[in-house]
Amino acid sequence: MTQEGVATAEEIVNIERPQETLPSGWEPNILAFACHYCAFAAADLAGVMRLSYPTTVKIIRLPCTGKLDPYYVLRALEGGVDGVFAAG
Amino acid sequence: MSELRSGSNLEKVLKAGHFALTGECGPPKGANIEHLKEKGSHLVGKVDSVNVTDNQTAVVRMSSWAASLILMQMGLEPNFQMVCRDRNRLAMQSDILGVYSVGVRNMLCLSGDHQRFGNHPESKNVYDLDSMQLLSMVKTMRDDGKFLNGEDIDKNPKLFIGAACNPFAEPSAFRVRRLAKKIAAGADFVQTQCIYNMDRFREFMKQVVDMGLHERCYILAGLTPMKSVGMAKHMAKSVPGMDVPDSIIKRLEGAGKGKVAEEGIKITLEQIEEFKQMEGIAGVHLMAIEWEHRVPEIAERAGLLPRPKVE
Amino acid sequence: MIVGKQKPFEQIWDMVKAYGSILVFGCNTCVAVCHEGGNKEAQILGSLLRLKAKQEGVTIEIQDGGIERQCEHEYFKSVAEDIRKADAVLSMACGAGVQFLGEKFPEKTVLPALNTTFIGVVDAPGVFSERCMMCGDCILHLTGGICPIIRCSKSLMNGPCGGSNKGSCEINSEVPCAWQLIYDRLEGQGRLDLLDAQIPVKNWSHSRDGGPRKQVREDMKTGNETAAGKAA
Repeated sequence: MTQEGVATAEEIVNIERPQETLPSGWEPNILAFACHYCAFAAADLAGVMRLSYPTTVKIIRLPCTGKLDPYYVLRALEGGVDGVFAAG
Repeated sequence: MSELRSGSNLEKVLKAGHFALTGECGPPKGANIEHLKEKGSHLVGKVDSVNVTDNQTAVVRMSSWAASLILMQMGLEPNFQMVCRDRNRLAMQSDILGVYSVGVRNMLCLSGDHQRFGNHPESKNVYDLDSMQLLSMVKTMRDDGKFLNGEDIDKNPKLFIGAACNPFAEPSAFRVRRLAKKIAAGADFVQTQCIYNMDRFREFMKQVVDMGLHERCYILAGLTPMKSVGMAKHMAKSVPGMDVPDSIIKRLEGAGKGKVAEEGIKITLEQIEEFKQMEGIAGVHLMAIEWEHRVPEIAERAGLLPRPKVE
Repeated sequence: MIVGKQKPFEQIWDMVKAYGSILVFGCNTCVAVCHEGGNKEAQILGSLLRLKAKQEGVTIEIQDGGIERQCEHEYFKSVAEDIRKADAVLSMACGAGVQFLGEKFPEKTVLPALNTTFIGVVDAPGVFSERCMMCGDCILHLTGGICPIIRCSKSLMNGPCGGSNKGSCEINSEVPCAWQLIYDRLEGQGRLDLLDAQIPVKNWSHSRDGGPRKQVREDMKTGNETAAGKAA
């Protein structure tokens, strides 16, 4: 569960933007694919504990990260997200 | 081996029971034949026949038949080499007729080094026939006067047919059987890969003699004198199918500065002495690569000069 | 099965970038097994090309699709409209499939996404290796079930050559010497005597050398096999 997955996804399509050109206050849109049994449960627990995370992170629950198809990642990027986060 | 098959000098020398000596000459990488002539000039009268290589190590050179012709005009008897890598059966048969018609009488049939090693690694290899099948084809052309397709040949090419043999390649248990197969296919004489490991070669020859192969074919032991320690190490490490024992490398290293080449020649001379006595060996094939000018000296010191003249 | 390998992405991009619309078209049998040209791979390649087009600021309508096999008429029926709509079809089939698609839609530009590499086996998941070159004149009964025509770098029929070294071919220590394999197999079976006989010169007219090959099963033939009239 590291940010490495995000960097890799960006590299695939080579859309990394240099830091200095970003407008202030910019937040990346992140799509998180979370495993039902661990990462998604953890996110749930975070909610119960009233921990907050950025609103630009959207979570999609998968029955297992083994279900994470390369095409899901590509579709997310095609759809305009800035990074993909796989957690399981 | 009753009557002469080709009438080549090499065949006559071997048939008369003399200890044969053959040399080797690589054609030039260009149309300049001065160096070829220079190399050849050292061999005139010193060897019974000289192998003329065919795009050896898959590097493009002047065709072996043309270089054979040039050497022949200088008074040398060529042993025309042909590899299966570059020609299909049509080209092979036409070149065989061609070389015979201009006077070539010995021919060595080889598979050829893979083009991966050469200077055109992107080329397509042919291997329409392999060396075994080439031997059979040349024999059929000579003895039956038939092309590979069974059609009659107008005047058979009477060639003395040679094959190569590597006693040190693997699977070692199959090497003698493969030699037997080549003899059955048509080899009149065999030139071996360069020999450095005498223990293994003695063992190999014992099997050859036990099977009686030396009575069906003349076996010439291949020799290449080591010029330097670097050459010995390169051959030990990088040349496929070569067996150079550490003892040879150590001996060359121990020779001292400026004396390595002489030590290399001494090793060769000792080997020739042993081959003269070894049952089943009919001569030596001296591949002094770009060292042709040392061949007369080696032949002289080995007691192989003058070369016999057999009518 | 037939094994293929996707051409480098930049080469594919260069082929397709000039078209207004392309269909990335998978072939879901052989080349799907090697994860290079199936419908799944078509979907992924389609997506990558759309991203690339966006990056380059080029407008191309890129669809993806696929069928079970691009080498048989019947599978094309349901996709004929999609094929007709596109300016060009980027076929992910083997060379046979690419050509068959072209025959069925002769007005359509067909582009190959794959290099067809060989007929081979799945040695291990993700590992494929060549076994047969379709010479049309099988000699496996003479060579212990191991083909020297394709597995020996020199296609020697009476090997091994002098370059056989510790079980490897002289061209590369990673390549097993086919004739060492043959020897070991026959030795294990007590059939080494097979190697004492010369395998005769091959009749290459059964191979590509005899011209494009064709075979007909009269009892199975049901009609006109020409492609033109069959374009779905």
